[in-house]
Amino acid sequence: MAPSITLERVTYRYAPGTAPALSDLTISLPGGTCCAILGPTGSGKSTLVQLLAGILAKHHPESVGEGSLTIGDHRYTPLPNDILFPDVGLALQDPYVQISGIRETTRKEIELTLETLGRDLVNEGGNIERLMHQLGITHLAARKPTTLSGGETQRVALATILIANPDVLLLDEPATALDYGAQANLKLILQSLRGAATVLFTDTHIDLPLEVADYFVVLKAGRVQFEGNRKQFLEHLPDFADLLPVEAWGKVLSALKGDPQSPFVRRIVQAVGLL
Amino acid sequence: MVPDLRPKLAFVLFLSVCAFAFDWQILLPLIALVLLFPLALPSYHPASDRARHLFFRFILFSIAISGAIIVLNGWILQTGERVEILPGIPLFSDGLLFGVRTAARLLLLSFSVLLFFSSTPIPTCINALQQSGLPRTVVLMLLLTLHFLDSLPERINRIFMAQEARGAPVRAGFISRTKAFFSILSPLLLSSIAESVDRGVALELRGFLLEMAPSAKPALPAQPLSPLTILLLAASFFILVISIARWLLP
Repeated sequence: MAPSITLERVTYRYAPGTAPALSDLTISLPGGTCCAILGPTGSGKSTLVQLLAGILAKHHPESVGEGSLTIGDHRYTPLPNDILFPDVGLALQDPYVQISGIRETTRKEIELTLETLGRDLVNEGGNIERLMHQLGITHLAARKPTTLSGGETQRVALATILIANPDVLLLDEPATALDYGAQANLKLILQSLRGAATVLFTDTHIDLPLEVADYFVVLKAGRVQFEGNRKQFLEHLPDFADLLPVEAWGKVLSALKGDPQSPFVRRIVQAVGLL
Repeated sequence: MVPDLRPKLAFVLFLSVCAFAFDWQILLPLIALVLLFPLALPSYHPASDRARHLFFRFILFSIAISGAIIVLNGWILQTGERVEILPGIPLFSDGLLFGVRTAARLLLLSFSVLLFFSSTPIPTCINALQQSGLPRTVVLMLLLTLHFLDSLPERINRIFMAQEARGAPVRAGFISRTKAFFSILSPLLLSSIAESVDRGVALELRGFLLEMAPSAKPALPAQPLSPLTILLLAASFFILVISIARWLLP
């Protein structure tokens, strides 16, 4: 069963005495949800997902973290200082660095994750094929991973994490390098994971989150501006006019198919100055 | 099946020992042998078109550098007979001989190492290291270093393009390129360090440094050394001992 995630009063500084990257964060995510972490650049989105993956403290030994994190039955007080993989998998913002380059083919690159975990490749063969098919990368199986395009690399990078079957999947701005078709593919992948894993992904835009997320957290300067389910998020949309790009609001309005004269739509239009 | 790289490594070791132990009359045929290997032996064929291009480009570059080393030594070390090769530049036989000796050593050392890396794909190299039971941290460090070297030409080209886009005359001529090289050093170093750190983190996030589970693929059982490897290692050891003895004894 996909675990719930709870952060209690989490404050995180990269060095003592500096401004906190995350400040007094209290978030409670139900298990199995697909959660979008939204906010502008520098709001703490990447710090949050790296903290959840357990990578931060290890690579910033001088950093200071307070508060507690609970993932399923595991409570981390102090915050985790070691990688939580394969229970928690994180796909980084730059997919190219996720490719090790020590395997000749894409399929072998995916197998590398299983090898490091000591899993039997013969038994996992079916899972690899299923995952590659699901991600639309079956035709890339024999290709050299370092010769793939941006979108293809992103999907292969995702496969290297998903093959470990993590209970919690963290994606740092997964839609950045993707074209329209690849984004549609990512949407299907995230939808297929619903219930099987707790998924958190960060984004500075709201197009993809509005289509796939059922839980939303909005950050600003390391603080939680909003946390709630889809219905609550839609009700508060106009409050985030300064956080989310204006050009996306037209799509929001059409997605909502709201009455242009309704007070809600008028609030959005007024807030972002579409007229 | 991970290929056994030990014969190739033993050959590199043998050539390196020879480079220090022998004089240029023996080193020159060895250099010729190294240059023939990529053409004659399948296991020494360049691993890719890029590797082939870089290998042969490096040879041309090395020949130019060697010429410069020989001439400079002949000009600076003014002992022995005066030799009139270049008009207007006085060169001396002792210096020229010293230059030939130095250049031959450098050429053999650099060609032998380059021959190994140009004919061994990085994944094969890392696989062999990993399977040999080396600690994962060491493999990770080697991997990041090799990645850095592998991506260096492309990275330099990208930075050159960025400088060109800003109007810098980086390709106008040899002097412009040399001047521009210093201006690209800092972005080159910074971007390389940043990417190496990120790649290391990404591999850790895939469990690369986790302790292997009991069912994990173990290191390959120790295979016996091939007769060729034994021969090369023995020859290297013998040459090394003789050289040290000759150096120590009057």
